[in-house]
Amino acid sequence: MTKIKPFYDGLVLGGGIAGMQAALDLAGQGFEVLLVEKEPTIGGVMVGLNKVFPTLDCSSCICTPRMAEVAHHDRISVLCYTDLVRARRRNAGFEVILRKKPRYVVEEDCIGCSLCELACPYFAPHEFDQGLGARAAIYIPHGNAIPQVPVLDPDYCMLDGNCARACPKNCIDFAQQAEELSVGVGSIIVATGLRLTPMGAKKQYGGDRHANVMNPLAMERVQSSNGPYGHILRPSDGKIPRSVAYVQCAGSRDQSIGVPYCSRVCCMYALKQAIMIRHQRHDTQVTIYHMDIRAFGKGYEQFYRRAQSEGVRVVKAKVARITEVENGDLSLRVELIDEGGRVADIRHDLVVLSQGTIPGWRPEGALPLEVDDDGFFAIPDIAARPANSTAEGIFVAGVATGPKDIPDSIVEAGAAAMEAAMYLDRVRESAGEMA
Amino acid sequence: MRYEAPEKLSEQRRNGDEPRVGVFVCHCGGNISDIVDVEKVVEQIRKRSGVACVTTHQFCCSDPGQAVIEQSIRERRLNRIVVAACSPSLHELTFRRAVARGGLNPYLFEHANIREHVSWVVDDRKEATAKAGRLIRAAVARAARLAPLEKRRIPIHPSVLVIGGGVAGLTAARDLANRGIRVRLIESTPFLGGRLAQLYKIYPTGQRARDVIGGLIREVSSNPLITVYTNAELVEARGFIGDFHTTIRLVPRGATERCTDAQAAINACPEETVDQFNLGLARRKAIYLPYKGCYPSIPAIDWRNCTRCGACLEAGGVGSIDLDEKPREIVIRSGAIVIAVGLNTYPPRYGEYGFGQFAEVITLAQMNRLLDPTGPTQGELVVNGRRIRRVGFMHCVGSLQHEGVHKPMRDGRINQYCSRVCCTTTMHTAVELKTRWPGVQVYDFHEDIRTYGRRHEGYYDKVCRQGVVFLRFDPLRPPRVGVDPKGEWPLVLRTVDRLTFGEELEVPLDLLVLATGLVARDMSKLVDLYRCSVGADRFLMEVHPKLRPVEMATFGLFLAGSVQGPMDIGESTAAAAAAASKAAALLKAGQIELDPFVAEVDTSKCSGCRICLQACPFAATDRDEAARTAKINQALCTGCGTCVASCPCNAIQQRGFRDDQVEAELLALLEAEEPVGV
Repeated sequence: MTKIKPFYDGLVLGGGIAGMQAALDLAGQGFEVLLVEKEPTIGGVMVGLNKVFPTLDCSSCICTPRMAEVAHHDRISVLCYTDLVRARRRNAGFEVILRKKPRYVVEEDCIGCSLCELACPYFAPHEFDQGLGARAAIYIPHGNAIPQVPVLDPDYCMLDGNCARACPKNCIDFAQQAEELSVGVGSIIVATGLRLTPMGAKKQYGGDRHANVMNPLAMERVQSSNGPYGHILRPSDGKIPRSVAYVQCAGSRDQSIGVPYCSRVCCMYALKQAIMIRHQRHDTQVTIYHMDIRAFGKGYEQFYRRAQSEGVRVVKAKVARITEVENGDLSLRVELIDEGGRVADIRHDLVVLSQGTIPGWRPEGALPLEVDDDGFFAIPDIAARPANSTAEGIFVAGVATGPKDIPDSIVEAGAAAMEAAMYLDRVRESAGEMA
Repeated sequence: MRYEAPEKLSEQRRNGDEPRVGVFVCHCGGNISDIVDVEKVVEQIRKRSGVACVTTHQFCCSDPGQAVIEQSIRERRLNRIVVAACSPSLHELTFRRAVARGGLNPYLFEHANIREHVSWVVDDRKEATAKAGRLIRAAVARAARLAPLEKRRIPIHPSVLVIGGGVAGLTAARDLANRGIRVRLIESTPFLGGRLAQLYKIYPTGQRARDVIGGLIREVSSNPLITVYTNAELVEARGFIGDFHTTIRLVPRGATERCTDAQAAINACPEETVDQFNLGLARRKAIYLPYKGCYPSIPAIDWRNCTRCGACLEAGGVGSIDLDEKPREIVIRSGAIVIAVGLNTYPPRYGEYGFGQFAEVITLAQMNRLLDPTGPTQGELVVNGRRIRRVGFMHCVGSLQHEGVHKPMRDGRINQYCSRVCCTTTMHTAVELKTRWPGVQVYDFHEDIRTYGRRHEGYYDKVCRQGVVFLRFDPLRPPRVGVDPKGEWPLVLRTVDRLTFGEELEVPLDLLVLATGLVARDMSKLVDLYRCSVGADRFLMEVHPKLRPVEMATFGLFLAGSVQGPMDIGESTAAAAAAASKAAALLKAGQIELDPFVAEVDTSKCSGCRICLQACPFAATDRDEAARTAKINQALCTGCGTCVASCPCNAIQQRGFRDDQVEAELLALLEAEEPVGV
């Protein structure tokens, strides 16, 4: 485990792709960086994806080397399973209070052998697989997790000591307490990413009631070769779906649920997942019900056309409601714009809701930052200085400043690192002048 | 990248010279193991001579996977490593680092590609397993003969050349200079500011474009670390990462710094021509300033339209104008180059939606000039002498094109891609229009509305509330523009509206604004000089859209902004800052480490015949006249191997690709297959 120093040039909040890239770009310019992640592993949302559009690269093939690079970098320290309590301005930098949550495992001694995990008889829904698979009450988050150290989930643990007996290094510690750390930092980069709108947000879609209405991240896991099933099945009965529907804007561009903006990535991931379904199951029909297809990025329109040429059906229709019918199948009530506005009830085996993207974290006093009415961090000069927050010395990257795809997040992370580097130079220069 | 210091490479000494090859076969989470019978391959390879151990892993590239390699080196005393996994382009570096961490020289590593070359392309399990086996044993044979190599270290010249003086180039220059780095910025036109200077207001902040660009120009022009060259053309480029030499030609500006009364000189000029800055909506003199507050504030002469009559000379005062100055060439040395030459708007062809045919059909960029109070109409909405009352916006002109529907561009290709910014620019412009002239009727003809970005949807929502009428057309049946048969309005647009379930509509208009797409500039010179990769969309191509979005395949070249593809202002500045960050990291390191796979001459065999001098495409071979033998410049050598093949005396060998290594690899590859399934 990394030894935490008393002072860093940059604190990066969030170990997803944007945070990792910002840390690498800042450290690459010679600065010392502390990366703090609230989850037990770095990698963020991206490491759970199957493939990425529009290149159809395997996501973990791109993400895991970044994770390894961050973990092995001489100038980057990583603290996982740690929350930011607060950051207070001190001199030109900040005094940061962090709270390292208890893993109930002595991280320094653990060798990541998984014997505790195998010994544990209690199971819980697997977060990494979006609740579709199971994991033990003590578990390593996933095969590519960094660090490869398990975390004990006290909600499911029965304290019967199986794991402790199995551990060859004697590093299970049921009495471990949260630890507060105080660190000085010169600047802060916030890359706290995203969450999706709740599955039950649109009542008429019944995302929280119908077993075969899935969330798109769960679909990523289902399509992954290292996912819970290994191939595409529907959750209720393990049937191979013959007809899959994507409901676009199921949580975006919708005043009624408080997400009036476009979530920017849903059109593309729906097309990508549809292509992947067609690749795995040539006879499965995939229909995407949409308002607009926003294939705006480099190579995206070409990808949209590729999806259509590979048999993905793209239908302009807003879905009014989803009802469960027999066998767990679903009936979608839609108005078909290109068929004279005919209202139809169309049956599908499996439905994926393209949920909206909402901020992954709200500072609630931990950081002196303002948020806009869309919930994302306010950027006063979004055109000329897109990474500068409302507070001096604090920079923002990735989805924390609004929904964004991976390339745009990576580019913005580079910009945030550059802004932080310039800020640190400026501060040092004026400190030098004073001395 | 950094490897451990040589004294730490203790395992290498301890593990001896006798080959002990460790082979690691990756499942790639099923990507490989679903097709290749990994266990069978392992059994085969285990029997090969020199193989000390064979291990499999779900993801060799993951942290635990890499840890297994490191640990095995120490525990099993390995001194050569083979990883059979994905393409080396993806993870060769990853594994070399793991090997170095394990205590071996990182070049005692060989990568076998059994994913892209096997499991992704071979369907039959038996065949795939056999092919994977062959590739791995070839890698083992080669690995056994590998020798430790050291990276080349090349110093970096501590300055950056930025090509392009628009918002991206200026941002990159400012950021680099703020980090204490010397920057030279070249701009091909006489003035800085690029496309942004021509816009009126920008979304999503509503700022005046000129304020944004003006602020940026002030920061750049006042920074002593930045030298700006305007009217600068690329002539020649030589060199490589760390030491580029770019020759530029500086075209004389005509006016000098002693020109105190620019306006008098301009007024005196008798030659008028089309004002490009106002996109043909106005006229200007042959000596001109594009707009008030431009930089530099010294006027420039447009030599194509200047008759050298000398009228400006007298009006401008002594020494203010020099008509006889000759172009001069200078060489700019730099350690890195940021390319930020931007893009063009799509030029609609004659007759495309009536463009060129009707004065009432203009582009969105021209509309921006009309809205600008400092523009050609002082911000009045008057076209062809008529006060405008009914405006139509036509989306996707030059974007989202289809074969058979749209005529190809000059290179024979259509523009399939989305130009990204036009939808929001249209909404933003419509808001401005409806706010300033609430009585004007606005119609929007689109196939999709792609207001994707932060606050973009807000403009869409606002124009809906302001009463803009949206009509959706089928991309394969775009609307047609004609004259109003009743003669009441200058134009009539006929379209089939999908939103009213296929109703055929005629919309009379007195102005049609074409939301023209964005296209790459003609960058043939640049592409040629720096050997840039160009995509099918004609924009410059990054190495990898996700892993390395602002880097080019040639080391030391970085991309900033819309030279890479359509981007809005915020996206361009972010990309420019990201490019600056990469360039700064390179320069701050002071030196670059390059792979050691260069050619070397065995002078005892060299006959001094000079054949290799002609063969080398990179001018890396030279002749040591005293010794009368060939010699190779290690900084310039790219390891292409051409000289090795051309040498009639077999005197040149390439490190890491020695004849004995390649031979062993080939022999193992061509070996008879051992019987399968017994």
